[in-house]
Amino acid sequence: MNDRGNFDAARRARRITEQAAAWYIEQHDEPDTRSRAAFLAWLRQSPEHVAEYMAIAQMHGDLKSAASLEKLTSDELAEWAGRSNPVVLFPQHNIRHVDQRVGASSGKWRAVAGAAVAAAVAALALLGGMHWRTSNLETHQQVVAEAHAVRSVTLPDGTLVQLDKGSVIDVSFDAHYRRIDVVSGNALFDVGKDPARPMLVNVGGHVLQDIGTVFDVMRGTGGDTLTVISGHVRVWNAPPAWPNETKTFMDTLRDDSEAVADLIAGQQVTMHSNHVSTVRAAPLNEVTAWLPTDIHFQRETVGEVARRFNAYTTTPLIIEDPRIADMRISGVFHANNPQAFVTYLASLPGVYVVQGGDRVRIVASSSHGNDHAGKL
Amino acid sequence: MREKHGKWSALFAEKGATLSNYFLRRVAHRWDAQDLVQEVYLRLLRMESSDAENIRNPEAYLFTVAANLVKEHAVMRQQQPVGSDGLEELFEQLSTPCSAEANVDRELRRQRLGAMIQRLSPKCRAVLVMHYRDDMSYRDIAERLSISTNMVKKYIVKGLATCRQRMADYE
Repeated sequence: MNDRGNFDAARRARRITEQAAAWYIEQHDEPDTRSRAAFLAWLRQSPEHVAEYMAIAQMHGDLKSAASLEKLTSDELAEWAGRSNPVVLFPQHNIRHVDQRVGASSGKWRAVAGAAVAAAVAALALLGGMHWRTSNLETHQQVVAEAHAVRSVTLPDGTLVQLDKGSVIDVSFDAHYRRIDVVSGNALFDVGKDPARPMLVNVGGHVLQDIGTVFDVMRGTGGDTLTVISGHVRVWNAPPAWPNETKTFMDTLRDDSEAVADLIAGQQVTMHSNHVSTVRAAPLNEVTAWLPTDIHFQRETVGEVARRFNAYTTTPLIIEDPRIADMRISGVFHANNPQAFVTYLASLPGVYVVQGGDRVRIVASSSHGNDHAGKL
Repeated sequence: MREKHGKWSALFAEKGATLSNYFLRRVAHRWDAQDLVQEVYLRLLRMESSDAENIRNPEAYLFTVAANLVKEHAVMRQQQPVGSDGLEELFEQLSTPCSAEANVDRELRRQRLGAMIQRLSPKCRAVLVMHYRDDMSYRDIAERLSISTNMVKKYIVKGLATCRQRMADYE
């Protein structure tokens, strides 16, 4: 497998697409002579630039037609845009407290402003290892993985969390936000969709904005490691008094240029209390080494099993057909061989597999409609 | 002349999907969208630098070259004359042989794209819809969302690029 090659190609393609889109907007906004000359020079650099520019021109036309499908009024859209941001958050504030609790070495810590967080965590800790309070939208829960086993938990919003041995997270969902603290250890998230309630995950003075994402967080005394397995994550600096300032923080989250890092599938950063490392290619095998090597399932749905495989691969399986996703299956597969599972799925009646560059789509045979699709 | 270029650019934006689908389905004819792009690129490269300096609107030039190539190819393939100015007719002709299929494709694409817009971040979604559906100016959008016009442009670029990349995954 050539993760590095795929990753570089994906990053390059994305950069060209964004350049093409930027040129498109600029050329349609009264460009001056210099801008036009620069644009021509860019076009002449590579046929990929020409192709991408044409594709963007086409997308511009398509968006005109597709945007008319939007049901919300501009007022409603503005209202929603002003309120919600899907965000994952990583402050380091509670780490000293946490390390004391789990008995790990605490290292050297800076003075932090997260007293409220620490107090809240302390309150939970006093109540015992497990703390549950769940209502319709409310969930307050501490999840602890036993010292001898990896634990897998599905939260009420559909978020799938896998916890390495001895790891701890705090989950706090209310009507407005979904907040998770990665307290200690190593956790892998496959974030569930809930556009009305942004996801905020706490780790180390940083905020991540996710867009349908699988990512891994490892707490460490030499900095916390964030690895994006699939999708796209943006890292921000967290406000000092999390979680009290959640609303203010979200309201001020306007300028994308303030993000401290931007990661796509296969990328990794180390987050320190005062800075974030440069983005690098992630050694995915090492990052996911703590996950079980076999995936066992007994009468689980195809959708659930696919998500478990997606923790291991930058080309996630996307089950597009809901009837296929709901089918129940049993079996054991090597986790590092999602291809075996794909082949298994392809052998089911009515199932087609479409191999894409960055994902594998599982569709019903009736919706099979292009030349790239093939039955495995 | 300028007006005509602008018209072609708009036509391409409008009919581009039909056009590239048409070519993609005919890869067997050894002429596809890739070839079109290659040929456009070569023609851009072959320009003398003095020509390049004289091109006042590179975008219009790009689409003119592309449109002419499409036209030349259609003449070659169909062995029938196309009116000298009949670019619109040409697009019609190109899409007619498979128009039912093309319409299904286009509608499917539109639905997917519509669903994709809803999955964008709320601000990006609001900016795109206000721009493309409601034809609001950058300044009006900026005012409504309390962001700078520069951010409005950034969100449109981001929206265009994201939709382009995600839709490419389908194709």
